[in-house]
Amino acid sequence: MKHVQPIDRHILFRAVRKSPGPRRRWHWETLAIHVILVGVCLLVLFPVFYTILTSLRPPRLGLSRTFIPDTWYFDHYIRLLSTPRFPRYILNSAINSLGGALITTVVSALAGYACVRYTFHGRSLFLIFIMGMLLLPGLTNLIPLYKLASDLGLLDSYLIMIAIYSAYGVPFGIWVMKSFIERIPRELEDAAAVDGASPLQIIGHIVLPLARPGLVAVFLLNFVYNWNDFLTALIMLSSTAMKTATVGLFDFQNQLTGNENELLAAACVIIMLPGLVVFLIARKTFLWAMLDGAVKG
Amino acid sequence: MRRCYPYLLIAPALGLISMVSLYPTLYSLYLSLHRIRRGTMEWVGLQNFRTILTSASFWQSLQHTLVFGVCFVSITLICAYALALMFNRKLALNGLYMTIIFVPWMLSDIVSGVMFRWLFLPHTGFGHQVLEALLGTSNLPGTPAGAMGIVIGATVWQATAFAMLLLLAGLQTVPREIYEAALIDGATRWQSFWYITWAFVRPTTMITTLFLTIQAINTTGMFLAITEGGPGRATEVLSLYMYREVITFFNFGSAAALSVIMFVLNAALATIYIRTLRAETV
Repeated sequence: MKHVQPIDRHILFRAVRKSPGPRRRWHWETLAIHVILVGVCLLVLFPVFYTILTSLRPPRLGLSRTFIPDTWYFDHYIRLLSTPRFPRYILNSAINSLGGALITTVVSALAGYACVRYTFHGRSLFLIFIMGMLLLPGLTNLIPLYKLASDLGLLDSYLIMIAIYSAYGVPFGIWVMKSFIERIPRELEDAAAVDGASPLQIIGHIVLPLARPGLVAVFLLNFVYNWNDFLTALIMLSSTAMKTATVGLFDFQNQLTGNENELLAAACVIIMLPGLVVFLIARKTFLWAMLDGAVKG
Repeated sequence: MRRCYPYLLIAPALGLISMVSLYPTLYSLYLSLHRIRRGTMEWVGLQNFRTILTSASFWQSLQHTLVFGVCFVSITLICAYALALMFNRKLALNGLYMTIIFVPWMLSDIVSGVMFRWLFLPHTGFGHQVLEALLGTSNLPGTPAGAMGIVIGATVWQATAFAMLLLLAGLQTVPREIYEAALIDGATRWQSFWYITWAFVRPTTMITTLFLTIQAINTTGMFLAITEGGPGRATEVLSLYMYREVITFFNFGSAAALSVIMFVLNAALATIYIRTLRAETV
């Protein structure tokens, strides 16, 4: 029997492979695609690596011509975090973006649930309205919002930023929550309703725990979008105490004398960190939710 | 009471959206018909629109928006298509590649802007050095076309991943059996791309194009971060023009008129988008 074994294995390999004919050509194409994709990835990551490496250089060397620094230098980060302004900017960014994302998540979960489980007058109108809002960017609203905020004395406040952020996220949040809740079987809720639970109890105890991945996706995506927001904050905030990190970076760039590129790079790295970390941890949820928010009709 | 529940549940969402979208839209329509000076408001009818539509700056910035939009949308679409076709092969490491390609999407406009500004900084920037070696001396940010080119590069870099995801979702709706049938019938690869893939993906392409067009009209952060409209006013697009009217000149009336014009543009595109989406899903 022994001599049969290698032959058997050979047959097995044949079976695992696809058709032997076009195999060679496919192989070349696969290799070419891998090479192209690796190239694209390097190109995409290049500015990010360039910035990280710049932030680790000693000061006043400018953006030197050697790519990898000779000595690693972390003082820029320490200097940044020990200035009075920068930690404050980070704190403001955190308050605004977390507050906005939290409200968005709760509000869109409730509305998403209503759109899935109830048929009510104006439901389809509401959904079309939401979809329109999903597409219309906030830019054209910023002028009247600025006027409104300045008339109400709300410029430079957490309140106006959290209100705007939470509202911007809602259309997208509803869309994602809707498709999540649609996948939850209805029987559980019906059983709870028979036992006399109120809709809020049903949502709180049955729907939300089951829809937790959706809630997490909405919360994290909105957190990242809010954290990265630059334009709204730039228009609404002008005092040092209230500015967010992105606006601080914009100011910093404009005041730059030319010798502090490394410090600016360090600021860039700190600001991009939360978004990147959250994305890397939850990338599947992110991609899935983004697709859902954009193309589900 | 039972009939009230859904309305109670959507009320917070409706309230928030009305506050930052519906109300501002109406308010900007109202503002656009007034002249606002030091807190006083004076009805001027369509005067603001007349002023804008006859000003050279408006037409110039519209032209810049068009140039930017056409370049941005076409380049992004081509890159995204190429990537989507490659990802559709479902090769090993696809997840890793896709994660990396999405990194720019997760960065703030201002962070990306600072990075691209650096790359093309005269003398020291890495991209500048590469261009210098390839094309001889060049001061890219200093020339109108160069500055626009940098912004286009940065926005393509940022937006390609998402467009790719949309197109990939479209590509994956094509049933594999059709390709096998076409292969048996002796179709060439080009034929099977044109008559099968393209036929299936055309609506998605349309949607992606509209999506990118809306994004192109409203790109502001990247321009602010990289060029601030410069050199001179060579990269001042519509949105920057609007921003300047408010922040620099406090011309609320004309800025509101501008935002009404931009809103109409966006709403028209959004309507086509929703129509296409509905036609596709029905």
